[in-house]
Amino acid sequence: MTSISHHLDEVILLDYHRGRLNAGQTLLVETHLEMCPHCRMSLRLFDAIGASMLDEVLPVDMSDDALELALARIERPEEAPEPRVAPELPAYLKGIELPESVRAAAFKPRYWGAPGVWMAHLDAPKDGRGLTYLMYVKGGMQMPVHDHQGLEMTLVLSGCFSDDRGAYHPGDCVSCDEGDHHSPLIASDDCLCLIAANAPIAPKTLLGKLLQPFARI
Amino acid sequence: SRGGRPVGVPEALILRIAEGRDRAAYAQLFSQYAPKLKAFMMGRGLTAIEAEDLAQDALLNVWRKASYFDPSKASATTWIYSIARNLHIDGVRKQKRAQTLPEDLWAPEPEQAPDTHLIGVQDAKTIGVLMQTLSPEQREVVRLSFFEDLSHGDIAQALSIPLGTVKSRLRLALLRLRAAFETRTESKSV
Ligand SMILES: [Zn+2]
Ligand SMILES: [Zn+2]
Repeated sequence: MTSISHHLDEVILLDYHRGRLNAGQTLLVETHLEMCPHCRMSLRLFDAIGASMLDEVLPVDMSDDALELALARIERPEEAPEPRVAPELPAYLKGIELPESVRAAAFKPRYWGAPGVWMAHLDAPKDGRGLTYLMYVKGGMQMPVHDHQGLEMTLVLSGCFSDDRGAYHPGDCVSCDEGDHHSPLIASDDCLCLIAANAPIAPKTLLGKLLQPFARI
Repeated sequence: SRGGRPVGVPEALILRIAEGRDRAAYAQLFSQYAPKLKAFMMGRGLTAIEAEDLAQDALLNVWRKASYFDPSKASATTWIYSIARNLHIDGVRKQKRAQTLPEDLWAPEPEQAPDTHLIGVQDAKTIGVLMQTLSPEQREVVRLSFFEDLSHGDIAQALSIPLGTVKSRLRLALLRLRAAFETRTESKSV
């Protein structure tokens, strides 16, 4: 496995640490964390920072019977956690090597955006304009230059793509914020990415046009 | 009555719980941490009752998961903090999803030598010292994020600065703490 060179933004990681991301962004961050010891380390640092503040805080008395209650609670048997049923992997993902976090997530049926390009949305409650989906692009395609209307994070799951800022391999995460524009180029291998966008990159009616094969290499 | 004996040290208390289900150790740990957790969570906007419930739940988790605690990876305070943080997040999300267990985060790193990058060994006090190396502005955004749990937008409003400035200050502060941490860890392990 090539080592990861494009990491999550520290501010995004901190928002994850504080539980402030939506379901799709959380999935993307957890998938990157599964693949990246560097960012796992940042999270440990955040816990240590929080702990330093816990250390300094002036205690507030618990109620009089708090200790008694605590000692009673540890005698009670632990309720078994509800067994977690992993959703069945959709046929279109079978045979692709995927991180555990992605395997455990539920995706809707895929649809084709253009020849050689399919997308599958995360099956999660709607959260504002947020949109999270898998995108599969056949090798050798280029997307035309496009703008972003909000933060968009792209995590490479397999294959590779590049833009004017660099090349991205499995585990790498690229963030585009409002106003950024670029034109990703997919290398010779097919590329599967997980994308979490705060706002769609273009109105849906334009998406098909946007994803037309632009140049073959 | 500590008197240099390791018996009251929170790390030792957790190990006594893990090894012997030691109720006296639990009572001591509870008395040390529950009032702090309650205060901390009230600082994050929970009511006194909610904060007390969360402190109870966090310590109950410490009892149940004590065998996962590894003092070479995390100080007791850091580990207990991470448990409380997870409970708080799950409460906020109110989602019926399996809890992210702190032992996942503190599990051994397969790709690293066992004695490199051991942030957890450093206790919270080290971070307290490193925090002093930040500029007052950086320290403020870190405190507002971690202690008061304000959103970046709320911080921008509270300090009357642009949102972009909040994020870049925070980013710089976190990168700086991380760099300082790594330098310390490396110089220690040599
Ligand atoms: Zn990373
Ligand atoms: Zn883009």
